[in-house]
Amino acid sequence: MTGATITRPRRSAQPPATGRGAGARRILTRVAVFAVIAAVPPLLFDDYWVFMSAQVLAFAVATLGLDILYGRTGQMSLAHASFMGVGAYTTYIVSSYGHGPAIQLGAVVVVALLAALVVAVPTLRLSGLRLALVTLAFGELLAWVIRETTDLTGGTQGASVDPIVIGTWDSSEPLHAYLIALVPAAIATLLAAHLGRTQLGRRMLAVRDTELAAESVGVAVARTKITAFLISAVYAGIAGWLYAAIVGFIAPPDFDLFASVYLFVAVVIGGAGTVLGAWLGAAYIVLVPELFTLAGQPNLYPIVGGALLAVVALLVPDGIVGLGRGLWRRVRGARGGQEGSR
Amino acid sequence: MSRTATHNTVAPAVRTEGLTVRYGAFQALSDVTVSLPAGQISGLIGPNGAGKTTLLNAISGFTSIAEGSVHVGHADLTALDARRRALAGVVRGFQTVRLLDRESVLTNVLIGTERLPQPSALAQFFGLPSQWRAGRRDTAAAAEVLDLLGLTGQAHRRVDELPFASRRLVEVARVLVSSPSVILLDEPAAGLDQEGRQELAAVLTRVHHNHPSTMVVVEHDVDLVKSLCSYVIALDSGAFLRDGTPAEVFGDRQVQLAYFGRAAGADA
Repeated sequence: MTGATITRPRRSAQPPATGRGAGARRILTRVAVFAVIAAVPPLLFDDYWVFMSAQVLAFAVATLGLDILYGRTGQMSLAHASFMGVGAYTTYIVSSYGHGPAIQLGAVVVVALLAALVVAVPTLRLSGLRLALVTLAFGELLAWVIRETTDLTGGTQGASVDPIVIGTWDSSEPLHAYLIALVPAAIATLLAAHLGRTQLGRRMLAVRDTELAAESVGVAVARTKITAFLISAVYAGIAGWLYAAIVGFIAPPDFDLFASVYLFVAVVIGGAGTVLGAWLGAAYIVLVPELFTLAGQPNLYPIVGGALLAVVALLVPDGIVGLGRGLWRRVRGARGGQEGSR
Repeated sequence: MSRTATHNTVAPAVRTEGLTVRYGAFQALSDVTVSLPAGQISGLIGPNGAGKTTLLNAISGFTSIAEGSVHVGHADLTALDARRRALAGVVRGFQTVRLLDRESVLTNVLIGTERLPQPSALAQFFGLPSQWRAGRRDTAAAAEVLDLLGLTGQAHRRVDELPFASRRLVEVARVLVSSPSVILLDEPAAGLDQEGRQELAAVLTRVHHNHPSTMVVVEHDVDLVKSLCSYVIALDSGAFLRDGTPAEVFGDRQVQLAYFGRAAGADA
């Protein structure tokens, strides 16, 4: 990132003073950085790490969605992995009828929206712990449905999902999986970043920070919560679609409460309310357990991960992104930089 | 200079009839019938506990009314919730500043554009042209009000980095950005120094001149009320006491007894 992008407080709308040129340059810089980083795995990694990187892409879509719900709107969900499961199992069922990726994706979006409406509308006046509990119940309900419909879903034994095939590309090939997942991940990122520049995005921030002020200017608080929930569910559903195609095998534990908690951990550790934080969090929950496994200590991950979460929650409430920004500010301060002036 | 009663035709009058608000056994407002003249800046005065904020809450829909009604122009708003009253043009500031602390000044002001016609959530999410048009309109409105309040240089600072007086101005900016027809401000000058108060009065006068509105300001500072308001309503212990021009109200013996006699206007 360049200095010009970081001194500005997060996700502000276009400044009146700097005009359109500076904003466009900032966006182009970010797109370029994203493209460079995205090019690293296929160019430098072996097949296995390309496969892991493809999973990071899938999980990034999920964490971006959870960040919209939790990081920006302040609503706590313990069913985010369940919505990934909705996407993954919808993909499995639709693909088992021989339908291709376009119809799979359409079905995933529709089913995720319907499932989210079922959860969101009755809970529209809930928030905080009560909302978390209702979402938890949804996760249990989904697990029960999968258990009870073995013929349709494979039940507790899990199910093998056909890869996404587009022309000569086949997602069972790690490089192809990576490139196929890169497109929805990039679009999800662009839309999430753009959301911060819209009134819709600002409504969410207002609902998170002060519902009274939100109402006082005419924001529909309940509708904003539902909108955030629907968007996050579609993100999770698409993440589940990608995950199913990339990994090729799905089972209920992939989408249980622990999976939801890990997604939550990802958003908090990365930095709630930031697009970059969602990406860092996704990389963390996919790659770090893998590193522990490679080091022969897979059981250490939950312990170290839990400790890290506690440290972050207590010491760096804004996550890795917040930590980086704080350090950057201090560096600039030491050099006598004018904080916030440009 | 501030007596700009020329816009009466656009801004509506605000009227309450027999307004009673109870919090449990405590009667915060008792049968208050007041009329805030259209297109003028009215001051709402009274000692602490007089019910000024409660009256503002009742007009803006932030407290439930036991009896009585609230009218803006010809419309009866009594049954509308706070959000719908805001959309109908009644926008308020809070005595305790309520901002999005971790966001920039600009974001905080832009949230106030909610009243302006906004594109659908889908159009906004996917960045359709209607969203870009609305965004440019909102940014221009925010830039104008930031300029008016002298906040342009702070536009990109997080509001939790600002001194208290500036935070209060940010909230005023959020109220003003959509040019509402009824503006309710709860002690907007609290925490400002003498110079800041005069500046704020000048700004509000200018805003009022440029965008006709019926403005209600809860304020303790007698000089500020006199320079800003063309009409004053005095409350005491939840009841209506007196209304009229500043000279009439401040000259009233009962008002002097209730207001100056006890607090000498220095309890802010």
